Amino acid sequence: MLRFTLNGQLVEVDAPSDTPLLWVIRDHLKLKGSKFGCGMGLCGACSMLIDGQSTRTCILPAAAIANKSVTTIEGLGNPELTSAVQQAWIDSSVPQCGYCQSGQIISATALLTNNPNPSDKEIDHAMSGNICRCGTYPRIKAAIKQAAHNIQTGQGKLQAVQYFEPTESAQEAQS
Amino acid sequence: MSTTINTSRRDFLKHSTLAGGGLIVGIPLMGLSQTASGAEKQNLAPNAILQITSENIVNFYLPRSEMGQGVYTGLTTLLAEELDVSPSKVTIHQTGSDDEYANPEFGMQITGGSTSIKAHFLPIRQLAANARLVIRQAAAKQLNVSLETIQTQDGKIFIQGKTLAYGEFVDVASTLDFPEDTPLKLEKDFKYIGKYNQRLDAQAKSTGTAEFGLDVDFDGLQKAAIKHCPVYGGLVQSFDDSAAKNMAGVKAIVAIHNGVAVVAEHYYQAKNALAKIEVQWQLPEKLSSFSTHSMDANNGMGLFENALKQEGDNAHNEGDSEAIKQTNKVISAQYWAPYLAHATMEPMNCTVKIENGKVDVWVGSQSPGMAKNIAALFADVAKDDVTVHSTFLGGGFGRRSASDFVAEATAIAKASNLPVQLTWSREDDTQHDLYRPASLAKFDIGLNQDGTINSWHVKRVGPNIMPYMIDEAVDAIAPGFMPNTMVDWLSKRGYGLFDGWVVDPSSVEGLFEDYDSPNKQVNHVTIDPGLPLGFWRSVGHSYSGFFKESMMDEVAVDQKQDAVAYRLKHLKNNPRLAHVLKLVAEKSGWGKPLANDHFHGLATHTSFGSCVAQVAEISVSESKIQVHKVTCVIDCGTAVNPEIIKAQMEGGIIFGLTAALHGEITLKDGAVEQTNFHTYPMLRMNESPEFDVIVVQSNEAPTGVGEPGLPPIAAAVANGVFAATGRRLRSLPLKLA
Repeated sequence: MLRFTLNGQLVEVDAPSDTPLLWVIRDHLKLKGSKFGCGMGLCGACSMLIDGQSTRTCILPAAAIANKSVTTIEGLGNPELTSAVQQAWIDSSVPQCGYCQSGQIISATALLTNNPNPSDKEIDHAMSGNICRCGTYPRIKAAIKQAAHNIQTGQGKLQAVQYFEPTESAQEAQS
Repeated sequence: MSTTINTSRRDFLKHSTLAGGGLIVGIPLMGLSQTASGAEKQNLAPNAILQITSENIVNFYLPRSEMGQGVYTGLTTLLAEELDVSPSKVTIHQTGSDDEYANPEFGMQITGGSTSIKAHFLPIRQLAANARLVIRQAAAKQLNVSLETIQTQDGKIFIQGKTLAYGEFVDVASTLDFPEDTPLKLEKDFKYIGKYNQRLDAQAKSTGTAEFGLDVDFDGLQKAAIKHCPVYGGLVQSFDDSAAKNMAGVKAIVAIHNGVAVVAEHYYQAKNALAKIEVQWQLPEKLSSFSTHSMDANNGMGLFENALKQEGDNAHNEGDSEAIKQTNKVISAQYWAPYLAHATMEPMNCTVKIENGKVDVWVGSQSPGMAKNIAALFADVAKDDVTVHSTFLGGGFGRRSASDFVAEATAIAKASNLPVQLTWSREDDTQHDLYRPASLAKFDIGLNQDGTINSWHVKRVGPNIMPYMIDEAVDAIAPGFMPNTMVDWLSKRGYGLFDGWVVDPSSVEGLFEDYDSPNKQVNHVTIDPGLPLGFWRSVGHSYSGFFKESMMDEVAVDQKQDAVAYRLKHLKNNPRLAHVLKLVAEKSGWGKPLANDHFHGLATHTSFGSCVAQVAEISVSESKIQVHKVTCVIDCGTAVNPEIIKAQMEGGIIFGLTAALHGEITLKDGAVEQTNFHTYPMLRMNESPEFDVIVVQSNEAPTGVGEPGLPPIAAAVANGVFAATGRRLRSLPLKLA
């Protein structure tokens, strides 16, 4: 039985430990926001935050995240309550087909967590693991800068959805 | 711009049982002249376009597929403009498949060819204008006032100082005769067209809530993976599944028309089991003897080079084809473009449930009508027993106009007797695409004494797309299936398949049209190794833009003339293209010195009715080409959503830069060698240039946007590389080492 924290909640899944995390999330837990793109960790469509780092989950065995904290696009915000990065994406009309954008937003969120005011070069470096076939890169860059500005001026948070901390009993189960 | 519409085109009203009731309107987008009788009205709801409920909910049933190009917003804006409702207040539904949703350009329900705004600009506005009028008429009747006193704004009626929602009047409106040919708004009165700058799908796509084909799921749905023959057209001879059939989660292992599939509870279980299956293939003789790297004179490049010696078929002739012999000078050059895969981010997938003779298909498709027909054929049911559920497309670029993956999913569902979601791996997607055709072209440009062009001769060698889209999709996959609309579609596209088809126009489009030359001759030699082909963003223009604009640069350089000035001399009959060219020169600072060993390259091209000019600022360091900035000007007539047009230019250019700098599909013994993004790389953020996109202000009818941004960019970069290094790169992808 796999046990980890997903978007602030402790979850248990009955899946083989070598199952890639992406498929545990998509097939078992039915959260469809994270996408399958390449199956080799090359495109970033499957990116999730694992303890705050943007991670390619299509090649990550689920066993590797035991007792860790996983955040998917659904854990950042939702249509009613968007995160600063998601809102900047909407305001800058970033998405085209939209398929890669969950992964892009996860990588941008990880970047801004570690570097609240990234330069163009730093954005290039942090975002080059995420392919966008529609070519939304210039808008992604503009939106990251907009999100950085908005967060610094108190107009938005990297995580809009607030979860309750895992309960005591859940923490016990975790240990 | 004309704001009238053919009076034979009638909208008709549909009272029906569609949930929510109210005013329900269908649209014969094809201009069918028919009015629903009372009995018919009851059954017309599934193909409604617009519904306004008494709760004032405006439902728009989007007849085209959203694949990133922006129809979800663009067509809604057209509707909202004439209905006098904010686009953001419209609830958009993706339609399934119905003949009434046919694209007026094609006569089939196809989203492609950069046609959506152009083809629906008048019909959807007309429908909405008629709906707004009937609501005003209903209000006049209900409130017993004259029609003239009733104004509308933002989904509301204004009358004698009172504000009332449209919904208050829809029940009465639905009993009135539906108006036809209501005058459309004048450009000066537009509130949303040209002004509305948001994307209506941005929120769903930024929160992971947009549903793509791969996100469809329901209780009992099984997941399938497929093993294709490495060489297209190969058949399953035998297979050994003894190591796979008892693996965890496996529900069925089936052989279908082109491969072996595993159906399992979870996708990774299907993938794991598939890896343990050994298949013996019967390989197709012709394609499996073809290798792009072969040095053999009758294989690989040699096959194309040899074919260049043939005269070929004439595709276009203008003036005197012999005049070139009398010209002052002839400049010749030969160009190459390889096969390319589409590489949509969402791999091909399709979900099919067959139950009690009824088939449900969930798919992101550019041609849901074709998907429906293919599913009917493979499930062996009547077309009317198939329901298509459309999703967002995780990229289209022409790939999803084909239905090969729908055929497979249906065949697997039928053979396994299980509801299945077939998901291709990235490797399947790269190696089993319908590819952009490889092309070789040779130009002979004859010059007058004064250096202007006297004769423009070009010959293209390569395979043609249409036989695959027609023969494969219609005859081979769907024998005996040839709907009348398909015949119409073919004749409208001008392929003349049924009256002596000589050259597929998409094979030579863009090679010769733009520049003035009293004498033009275009010939074509068909060489086809047998790799399947499809429409790839901008189709023939994807290579002809590179060929033609590189050639024009070579001639200008030979004549020691400025690239802009020389082109302008040959655009006397093409003022629209001349205008974008002049504008791009001005905006990019063409001709002014650049800092830091940067160089400019320029190209301009007409495609899908739109004129585009681009200047690329590049540098070359240790054989590496870097593109720093692209200035792009587009004239696409009336700009419905300028921000989406800019985004399409950026996206088209980046798509074209991937092809210019990286893209190449090669074959060994008929099998595609590239597998995933490490061997078929895409442009990434660190290679993406800065952009300055200018959309020309225009009141002309709208033209294409999704594709025209792509064709000029490879030549703009290559011409910049020539300026930087003196080396003329005539093959794609561009390589200096």
